[in-house]
This record gives sequence, structure tokens and C-alpha cells, in this order.
Amino acid sequence: MIAKEKLKDYANKLMFDMKDEEYTTLQEEFDIILKQMDLIGNIPNISSVDPMTFPFKLEEASLREDEVGDYLTVSEVLENSHHQVNDQVKVPKVVGEGE
Amino acid sequence: MYRGKNIQELREELDKKETIPEELFDKANRLAHYFQDDYNSFVTIIDKFKYKDRDSKLNGIPYALKDNFSTSGILTTASSNILKDYVPVYDATVFKKLKSAGAVLVGKTVLDELAMGGTGTTGHTGIVRNPWDKERMIGGSSAGSASAVALGIVPFSIGSDTGDSVRKPASHGGLVGFKPTYGRISRYGLFAFASSLDHVAMFTRNVMDCAIVTDVLKGKDINDMTTLNDDGKCYVDLVDKDIKGKKLFYIKEICGKDTYKDVDDKELRETITKFHEMLDKLREEGFIIEEVSMDKALLEAIYPTYMCISCAEATSNNSNLTGIQFGPRGEGNSVEEIMFDARTKGFSELIKRRFILGSYILQRENQEKLFLNAGRVRRMIVDKMNEFFKEYDGMIAPCSGGPASKFDSTSEKLSDRYLILENHLAIGNFGGFPSITLPFAMINDLPVGVNITGRVREDDLVLNMANYVEKVTGLKDIYSKVGDIDV
Repeated sequence: MIAKEKLKDYANKLMFDMKDEEYTTLQEEFDIILKQMDLIGNIPNISSVDPMTFPFKLEEASLREDEVGDYLTVSEVLENSHHQVNDQVKVPKVVGEGE
Repeated sequence: MYRGKNIQELREELDKKETIPEELFDKANRLAHYFQDDYNSFVTIIDKFKYKDRDSKLNGIPYALKDNFSTSGILTTASSNILKDYVPVYDATVFKKLKSAGAVLVGKTVLDELAMGGTGTTGHTGIVRNPWDKERMIGGSSAGSASAVALGIVPFSIGSDTGDSVRKPASHGGLVGFKPTYGRISRYGLFAFASSLDHVAMFTRNVMDCAIVTDVLKGKDINDMTTLNDDGKCYVDLVDKDIKGKKLFYIKEICGKDTYKDVDDKELRETITKFHEMLDKLREEGFIIEEVSMDKALLEAIYPTYMCISCAEATSNNSNLTGIQFGPRGEGNSVEEIMFDARTKGFSELIKRRFILGSYILQRENQEKLFLNAGRVRRMIVDKMNEFFKEYDGMIAPCSGGPASKFDSTSEKLSDRYLILENHLAIGNFGGFPSITLPFAMINDLPVGVNITGRVREDDLVLNMANYVEKVTGLKDIYSKVGDIDV
């Protein structure tokens, strides 16, 4: 069974935590998930196949030209932020004392 | 009577001036409120009529939009606490196009949180119930969009489909659910779940209505570089073409006559029997339908492959949910602490579990075995499908092993039914194939859907073939007549 500490480490890397009992549930769930994941490994001779990252070859994909257009104003950008100062999103000091 | 009418019927009434858009909106609004407590289709019901007269088949037609499409000035939560107060400042292309076509938004619908789930039970405002039986799920993630159409509140709704999030609830709701080719409809303004699998999709109550909606939504969008050039076709004009000689295949390992003969599951056996009875009728109509075989190991790998790719992409796509630029602000003394707190409080347990799985898959030591191998399996499955498509025009299969599940049911997560029959629709997302679900049978008075998946870019042919299947099944324009309301 996968160690709870490992699961906690994965969660913390994604910047969140769970309750202890939730890790226990996940630990049990991981058992099934890992068995399902093993099914991927059952496919013979897959090492020579290129991993697919997009559904099909998109020949018409192109970058658009840079054009002047209407974009969001500062006040629109800040509309959903609950802490603002001087037209900027306010956060705690990033540079610490003495640095 | 408005309830349960399809787009074409409402169009005719509007054109004949027998009704006006505001009247249709008022009726849809009344229905939405009437059913909300029992079925929970909506996060937001729009109470103010907003409409501009346009020259379009959707002009004046009410519809519902999944709450993961950006709508300027209208709350958009993705059914997650981390976005519970988020009001976007821009419109998704889909919303913009529908507004430009004169369609009238009735509400934003409940989904499984951040579109990650297939049950309709994980939205932050509660579970969505199946209009055909309240004790059953409608499925997800586009749960509210499905239930709103299945209740007859609106004639069509928009959802998103990453694994089967429209085509599966369509099956459980007796609806048509269509996911066109990847890139046919712009994803700009759709909250990304797994970008290489995400599709805009729709629910209607008949195939022709699907063609009407797709004609309005399709086309190149400079804001989504993955969109296809418009194919210049009018799907409405092509939906009724003769299909004689069109060739379909079904995969023995998914839905062969005897594939589940030893499985003790009445609903499953009845689904397979009725499916083959329908195939016989389709043959009489001129379809050529043959059985093919596919490596079972590949089919069993569909679900884990989907989980690997989607969870890995989701962990990255959702890293912008920090509670700093938008969403409820967390507590703490540093930026990191604030983010950590916002994400810990903002995501439900289920979402966290999916993210942890994504994190696990992306760990250096697991990348080769899981993430890259999943991409390899994806290619093998898509290549195999394309090989079949050289000879056949489409694949046909039941969408699941029976009607919608009850809320308290459990499924054996390593069984063939679960791994293959309940999850094969993700093939359509792996390859970006156009794929449509429509009802084909009633089992215990509950609908079950059949799916047709076709070649990339041949959306018109998929709609055309589905239209003929609909003629054969006769299950068109069905909805749940539950409730004591005469609107």
C-alpha cells in the first residue's frame, strides 16, 4: 500500500492538504487505481510507439497576427480580486526582512 | 404548451407569430424554478429576459449553458467553492455565438466540480437528479445541462465532454448528445480540464436539432488556435441524405452478442439483446453492419489511459486557481500560505484525490510508466480506430451496460463492464472523433443510449447516420413528463 506520507507530499506539491481520514480513504482507493494503471503496462511492445499528445495532426493551426484590439481594462482585471492597492492585486510582502 | 417542444417546433411558432421570445423565456424560467429544488439543474437561473432579434434558426430559442463557460457579468462557478463568487469579465466564443444568433440564456447549469467526474454528485451546490427517476444519477459531468433538457425546460443546452461528459448523461437522460470533431467548435472561454481531450458538446432531443445548433457554433476562432477551418457545410441540409450502403462496425469485445453471456446482470444482457435487435433493423434500412475484434488489453486500458492523461493535464490547468486574482482569498502570512489555504478550502475531497493522482503520474519516477505509456496507448487505440475507419464509416455501440445507476450503487471497478463497456466513449476524445449518443431502448421504463463515432472531420456524416438510427428507434423528442405543471 502506498504510504500516506507520500500522498501528502504529492498533495503539498500541488499546494493543498487534506484531512488525515481523507488520506486513509485515498490510500485505499489508490490500491484499485494502481491495479487499473497496471493495465496500461500489460500492452506488449509499446515502447516503440510515440506518445500521443494531440488528437490528430492539425494542418491548419496557425498563429494569429498581432493586431490592436479591445482587451481587458485594469479595473476589469482586478474585479474578481478582493484585495487591491494602487491598481494592483495586494499580497503579503514577498521579500522578507534583511533580504 | 411550451414544455418539451423541440427547436424546430418553437422556431415554427415564433415564425408564425404564435408566440414571442419573451413568452418562451418566461415559460422556461418558470419551469426552471419549479424543478430546481427536486432536480438541481442550475447554479444560476436567469430571471431577466435579455435578447436581441437576429436572423437565425436559434433566434428567440431558450437554452442552458454549463457553468464552466465564461459569461461576462454572470456568475460562473464551475460548481466549485474555489470559484463560488467568480464573475467573468469576458464571453466564451460559444456564448458569444449563441447571443449573436439570438438564443436566450435561461441559466447556468450544475456540473461535477471543475467538470471532473461522471456522476453529477460533486457540484458545490448539491447533487443533480435524473428526471426519469429521482433515485438515479443523470451522470456527468454535464449533469445540469442534461437534466434541464430531459425535464423539458429548454430544447437544447451546451456542455463539455472530456471523456464522455455529454454523451453518457445523454444516454441516461434519453437525449441526443453530440460532440463534434475536436476543434470544430471553439474552446475559448471554456474552463480547461484536460486540453487535449476537451470538446464543446451539446444536448438536444433529436438529431436535426443537433445539426441546427452545430451549424451555429462551428467555425474557426482566432482565440483558439486548435479550431478547424470551417468546412463550409450546412449540416441541416445534409442530415437527411440517403445512408444506403454506409458501413458500421461494432467491436465484439465491447458489445458482442455473447460477450457477457456468463455475467449475472439482467440489465446488461437486456441492453445487449436490444442493441442487436436494433442492428438487425438498421440492416433492413440499408446499413451494412459487421463485427470486428480489437485487442482486449487495449480496451481495458482505455479507462486508466484516460485517467492518466486527464488528471495529469488537470493538475496543470487548474494551477491558476490560487484565490489571489480571483476566488475566495485564503489566510496566511505569505503568498504560498494564502494559496495553500485557498486551495485546501476551495477544492472538494474528490477533486483533491484526482489532483493527487495527477501529481503521482507526473512524478519523475512514474512518468515513463504511466504518463508516457498512457500517451502511447492513446496512439495505439486511435491508430486502430483509423484502421477500422478505412473500411467503415462509423462505430456503433451501446453507451453503457444499462440505464443510469442508483445513487447508492457500487460498481466493480476492475470488471469488463466497468473498464470497457462503461468507459469506451473516451475513444472519441482520444482521437477527436465526432461522436453522438441518442436513445435506442427503454429498459425498466428508463432510457439507454447508443453511440455512433465517425471519422475526424466527418461530422455531417455522423449526424446523417444518427438521423437514420433515430428513424428506426422511433425514440425522438422524448423527455420526462414528471411534475404537475402546465406550461
